[in-house]
Amino acid sequence: MKNLLLSLSLIGAAALVGCGKTETPAPEAAPAAAPVAAPAAAPAPAELPELKVAIDPTYEPFTFKTADGKPTGFDVDIAEALCNEIKRKCVYVEQVWDSMIPGLQAKKYDVIISSMSVTEERQQVVDFSDKYYFTPSRIVVKTGTAFTDLASLKGKKLGVLKGSTQEKYAMGELKTVGVNVVPYEAQDQVYLDIKSGRLDGTVADQVEVNGGFLSKPEGAGYGFVGPVLADAKYFGTGVGVALRKDETALKEQLNAAIKAIRSNGVYETVSKKYFDFDVYGN
Amino acid sequence: MSGYFSSILQGALLTVGVSLAALMVAVLLGLLGAVAKLSGRPILVGLATVYTTLVRGVPELVLMLLIYYGGTIGLNNLLEAMGSKASVDINPFLAGVLTIGFIYGAYMTETFRGAILSIPKGQMEAAWAFGMGPVRTFLRITAPQMVRYALPGFTNNWLVLIKATALVSLIGLQEMTYLAKQASAATREPFTFFLFAAALFLVYTSVSLWALRWLDRRFSLGVKRANA
Repeated sequence: MKNLLLSLSLIGAAALVGCGKTETPAPEAAPAAAPVAAPAAAPAPAELPELKVAIDPTYEPFTFKTADGKPTGFDVDIAEALCNEIKRKCVYVEQVWDSMIPGLQAKKYDVIISSMSVTEERQQVVDFSDKYYFTPSRIVVKTGTAFTDLASLKGKKLGVLKGSTQEKYAMGELKTVGVNVVPYEAQDQVYLDIKSGRLDGTVADQVEVNGGFLSKPEGAGYGFVGPVLADAKYFGTGVGVALRKDETALKEQLNAAIKAIRSNGVYETVSKKYFDFDVYGN
Repeated sequence: MSGYFSSILQGALLTVGVSLAALMVAVLLGLLGAVAKLSGRPILVGLATVYTTLVRGVPELVLMLLIYYGGTIGLNNLLEAMGSKASVDINPFLAGVLTIGFIYGAYMTETFRGAILSIPKGQMEAAWAFGMGPVRTFLRITAPQMVRYALPGFTNNWLVLIKATALVSLIGLQEMTYLAKQASAATREPFTFFLFAAALFLVYTSVSLWALRWLDRRFSLGVKRANA
């Protein structure tokens, strides 16, 4: 056995040397994973310090990539505007949603600007700036459905996403007036069941329901009824920039920058580029 | 549209790079682990047993998060405690290769251990009787026969390893599954891009299966197959 041990460790050593050689693709592959430089932005003076911004570009129209691989969307444009205000250069780091917060804690980047809603659970581990947008939710039913107040929807069957803010609202305000509320595992399943006639409608995020249902063929004949839903009791306080807890100075800067782009018209321009309503909310 | 496809193809290159490099690490760790387990020395056997039990028993996703993020956060805290302002930034390619290699090394350990045990002891003893040294015995007697016994398990491990590379997006690498997800989110056409990525995986695994079958034939020369 001793001989075997010796011979195998020699082989091991040989494999290690070989390993060093075969790993040569590393330097080639690494740049592909490196942070993507800011798109569109005018060539910034080199002396501007970088602000590493994490995005998960899988959330059109807020954060997504163009066909040539550039990050774009509402979040990215807001990030650019904020960087411009605080005199930093935005450098984007693409990160999967599941490891977004661990990456922030591991200092892979400085902030997350990727449509992250401010929630109590998240606030226990990270800090948030003031909100930079808040998309309200709406009730969607067949167009022409008689509506005077919420009670007039009595007997209707509405699907909602399980565990969502919309479910909380529907259980609190609609179920109590006699609406039949059915929770689903995914929002697409709600749309499928509306199509198949098992549901009369849904309560969903206004932007989500526009892109995922109303603007598609199967959404024809459906529309919003009732008020714009934005009650903080159910829907929270909106989407903010997430940052590490000890970064108070940066947080102050970002809050001031959000105020500034709100008042100097930059925010409005960006908002109009993507939406036909005011995405900031009240 | 074609831009998204070419970005997924680039992701495929990364997948190939990560998986091949991780395989090297896994084979190395597997050989060391197998030898440690067969060494009969309590400390080595104990270490190798802890390694294979722990790694094979914990989900890869959890290990990846623990090793990469846990490791980075730990190092940063350590630096901070020592009064340094600097923060470590582990190269994600290297981290992905090492993590996947570390995980699959545990599976390889068991595969190689079984393969070495399958060789009749008399083979090695005969080599020693002829005066061959340990290295020569391994290269000429043990290794060629071991390959045949190890290949079926090795093939399984390799195929699972290839697919496990989809997890490296967790640590910030743009591999093809994540790029396919990005493309489908931007265009709202999930099936087009996920099917494309699936086809690329299938091409990759098919090519490796073909190569491994060739190896199997090469190392089974002189062995009569029951069904041949």
